[in-house]
Amino acid sequence: MVQYASDYTLAELLIAISAREIKDGETVFAGVGQPTLAASLAKLTHAPNAILSMESGSVGPQPYRAILGIGDNPCIENALMATSLWRLFADQQRGFLDIGMVGGAQVDKYGNLNSTAIFGEGNYRKPASRLPGSGGANDIASSAGRTVISIPLQKRRFLERVDYITSPGYLDGYDARSREGLPGGGPSAIITNKCVFKFDEVTKEAYLYSVHPNVTVEDVKNEVSWDLKVASEVKTTEPPTVEEVRLIRMLDASKIYIGDGLKSLSFAKYMKMMEDSYDIMKQLY
Amino acid sequence: MAKKDQDKRKSLKTAIQEYVQDGCSISFSGMAGSQCVAHTYEIIRQGKKGLTLIGDSPCEPGDMLVGAGLVDRMEIAYCAYAVAGMGNNFRRAIESGIPHEVVLNDYSNFTIGMRFLAGAMNIPFMPTKSLLGSDLPQYNEHIKTMLDPYTGQKIALVPAANPDVAIVHVNRADKRGNGQIFGYLANADNIARAAKYTILTCEELVETEEIRKYPVLTAIPEYCVDAVVELPYASHPWNMPYSYLYDLPFHTDQLAKFATREGFEEWLEEWCYSVKDHDEYLDKVGRKRLWELSKMERKYMKMPY
Repeated sequence: MVQYASDYTLAELLIAISAREIKDGETVFAGVGQPTLAASLAKLTHAPNAILSMESGSVGPQPYRAILGIGDNPCIENALMATSLWRLFADQQRGFLDIGMVGGAQVDKYGNLNSTAIFGEGNYRKPASRLPGSGGANDIASSAGRTVISIPLQKRRFLERVDYITSPGYLDGYDARSREGLPGGGPSAIITNKCVFKFDEVTKEAYLYSVHPNVTVEDVKNEVSWDLKVASEVKTTEPPTVEEVRLIRMLDASKIYIGDGLKSLSFAKYMKMMEDSYDIMKQLY
Repeated sequence: MAKKDQDKRKSLKTAIQEYVQDGCSISFSGMAGSQCVAHTYEIIRQGKKGLTLIGDSPCEPGDMLVGAGLVDRMEIAYCAYAVAGMGNNFRRAIESGIPHEVVLNDYSNFTIGMRFLAGAMNIPFMPTKSLLGSDLPQYNEHIKTMLDPYTGQKIALVPAANPDVAIVHVNRADKRGNGQIFGYLANADNIARAAKYTILTCEELVETEEIRKYPVLTAIPEYCVDAVVELPYASHPWNMPYSYLYDLPFHTDQLAKFATREGFEEWLEEWCYSVKDHDEYLDKVGRKRLWELSKMERKYMKMPY
């Protein structure tokens, strides 16, 4: 009998939901933070043979410390391979990466993502807000077997059409991806702080699949800019189990991603965190 | 020709003076970690102007060179500091033209990697299935789409990148320029081969005999290298696999200063212009602190030699 946690945070819930998207044996292309923790959690629960990879050229790490960047040293700690960036992305273009974790500042109803620029009153050349840019997100969205999108649910982010498509979702819906020649399968879910969306198999439009505990369908509709389609029976998102919460708190013992571990981080505190991490994580493997 | 020299050792200052010219195009190795930080500070000290920066996801070499007003043009996939924060100098330049406007062409990490690969192969372009259907080709005239002449399928093309200067940082090298990397490569091997002139810097200078013991580690062969600089802790505050940890608390303080233009200028004054060279920068950071970062890295990862 699965024992659900009653004491968990939103961040922990989101990591548990993302982890469940990963199946055993799958290869995962992930960025840092929630996606990495989700992949590690999946490995320690239902997907022991999942392989995590990062775009610096790092494949299959099993580190005893938190990963602080896609090129951080733990990306290759106890790893299967350290290679080059183009080689790993070429492997993805070849079809070897099953699932990619992506995010952005804006998303639309076909799962297209913008992480390049918020135009506001301006345009691409002179945007109201310039964001970091694609990084590897366009490549992951183009070629991963499928993608899982993480983004906070807010009306200014959930738009009929994003200002700029950095990472292609289903473009204009239906078979637009294959018409454009994109090899990857496109997004399978959007995970937010309030709910989970999935995509209609024919139209490829996002619909409300589940709401997190204590969230209503109306709450979600209020934060979406288009006329949102809703599943005939909207589920309640499965909360994290006691075991999942326990593991997440060991994987991120310093609360870098699930709390405010980065706030007023002195050098001494940081080195202590690094010193202690080994013994905590050793218990996991 | 320097590529044929048997002893290419130089100081960082001399190497930058000789190879980085005003108006040149330049690329740096690193991906999130192992960034070319010491090199960025030296270029700022020397005030090399009008640079075209070609890179995947440059952190300090993107954001700080832009903030110092030295970059006219960027062909990149990403500019920010990942976990530590946004690239506020990059943002100020694009949003408000501070300190001056920068011409920007957006790519993705893979397609910048393809550009360096094409450059390293001496071919004019590379086809890719990235970028299709997105808005990158719409706003970047250098990305072309065409029908594959063999299958008739749609394909995107990106042009080769052959920067004037490559700056590449590795774990160890010999004086002839054989560079060994213990961690991931990101685009280092192709950047070094694609450029006209390549400056190779290393955490540790070793004898060629030592290189020959582990040839599989050599990512960059001497024949594409023009200058060799021994430059320990060159990526600080970033991490270098097998050498030192990420100094996240230092980076957090640094980026808090970069939040405002004034803060960035104060940072440059204190950490770049007021110190003579990288050695003095390291003294200022503190040798004990640096050693602790190295020692802790060895607790987790250590090379067997």
